[in-house]
Amino acid sequence: MDDLYKEIILERYKNPKNLGTIKGGIQVEEINALCGDKIKIWLEVKNGTITDAKFEGSGCAISVAATDILMDMIKGKKIVDVQQMSGAEIENEMGIELSSVRKRCAYIGLEAIKKIKNSLNNL
Amino acid sequence: MKNNFPIFQNNPDLVYLDSAATGLKPASVILSEMEYYTKYSANIHRGLYQISQIASDQYDQSRQIIADFIHAKVNEIIFTSGTTASINLVAQTWGQQNIKSGDEIVITQMEHHSNLVPWQQLAKNKKAKLKYIPVTSDFLLDLKSLSKLINPKTKIVALTHVSNVLGTINPIKKIIQTIKKINPKTLVLVDGAQAVAHFPIDVADLGVDFYAFSGHKLYGPTGIGVLYVNQKIYSSIPPSSFGGGAIKEVFWDKTILDNPPFCYEPGTPPIAQAIALGQAIKFIQKVGWSKITQHEQDLTNYLFQKLTTISDLKILGPNNNGQRLGVISFAFSKPKSPAPHDIGDLLSQKFNIAVRTGFHCAMPLHHLFGFDTGTTRVSLGIYNTHQDIDKLINGLNYVVKIFS
Repeated sequence: MDDLYKEIILERYKNPKNLGTIKGGIQVEEINALCGDKIKIWLEVKNGTITDAKFEGSGCAISVAATDILMDMIKGKKIVDVQQMSGAEIENEMGIELSSVRKRCAYIGLEAIKKIKNSLNNL
Repeated sequence: MKNNFPIFQNNPDLVYLDSAATGLKPASVILSEMEYYTKYSANIHRGLYQISQIASDQYDQSRQIIADFIHAKVNEIIFTSGTTASINLVAQTWGQQNIKSGDEIVITQMEHHSNLVPWQQLAKNKKAKLKYIPVTSDFLLDLKSLSKLINPKTKIVALTHVSNVLGTINPIKKIIQTIKKINPKTLVLVDGAQAVAHFPIDVADLGVDFYAFSGHKLYGPTGIGVLYVNQKIYSSIPPSSFGGGAIKEVFWDKTILDNPPFCYEPGTPPIAQAIALGQAIKFIQKVGWSKITQHEQDLTNYLFQKLTTISDLKILGPNNNGQRLGVISFAFSKPKSPAPHDIGDLLSQKFNIAVRTGFHCAMPLHHLFGFDTGTTRVSLGIYNTHQDIDKLINGLNYVVKIFS
């Protein structure tokens, strides 16, 4: 099995755990024009804390798997803290090291969340 | 053939299938560029000393080689930095002068962004109308649409000779005849970036007004390109950038510009690159067109035959009908299949195979045919072999297996 495409990545790509939308949630999206990844994220935020996170999108295995893993990572966290997260934390969680081009795929979800305006942090 | 390309000595296992992005460079091109810097590195058309004269002669000779190569006159060859710069030069000089509100610009749905965005921006600035020649379901230009699209308001038609995604070769001569029959005043610009390395070009026979191409896709250096301009229309193209080398006389209050093409080439040009581009053309001529076209057609046939053995693989481009080049873009049609980026990454990491992935600077075209996550593109060059294709197919089967 290939390092980059180990079981967890492929499994998350084929069967993401956090696929879906949240009615009334904050919605953000990000595209990676380079390869056509397109991710939409819905966050349910209460008192500044992310209580639920879901996503929909199309893209490569890395972008889908990374975003699915990210959704798990951010639930229960303060949105201000999530916006301070580094992409390396996602790579850590995925257990893989990515080339600079593929980092853009893996960080797409986090980039989307970083676009949420600060005023919303107090939700 | 690979012996002629030093990159294979340094990367013996490299399977290079991205010649539509850039061609690899033969030793003669690399040496010629180095020779300029090591033997006669001087500015051109200025010094009376010996090495400056050698540099000037070599530079001028290269322009002549390029002119002969596409059957143009030497003063019809403007050096630019590449196809993109060539097209922008036309849009920003000729376009600024000649496009007025209500005029119409026609391009096609299969253009590279480089032959789309400059016209889109020009049309927007001038309040002109931008119209598209459609691509049919069999990935050819819909030529029947020309009679509706071209009219007395059509100032220019800009279209590609070969699609960098579909591989389709457009019947340029026939298209130009049709356009000029409807409106003889309509100018035609052809983007030859994907054509020049693969079959002979005769601008006079095509009847084209502008022909743009890059040196680096022609096995030459980066940073140098060509804009052919039919000399009859030079007077309608006012130069838009000015400086040394492009003038005859300068006074405090006025300047007399040099003749074309020099008035479009202010400043010190990429001398080494221009000279080496001449060598790239000499390399192609030495191999010979019949050998090149035969070899690439054989490989395209083989690649087509092999790709169609892989299940669920959908090709974005025409069938192997003899009217296409070895530029083949594809994607897997089943959900949860490997995406182009996954394919490109795995092919590189596991097999040292270089392919292009994404939209290949033709985003609207991909969306038109529902390839919303892009494609993987394989493109052939003079150095490719049947073995390269076998390795690709083996690699693709491996990728499919990983994702199954």
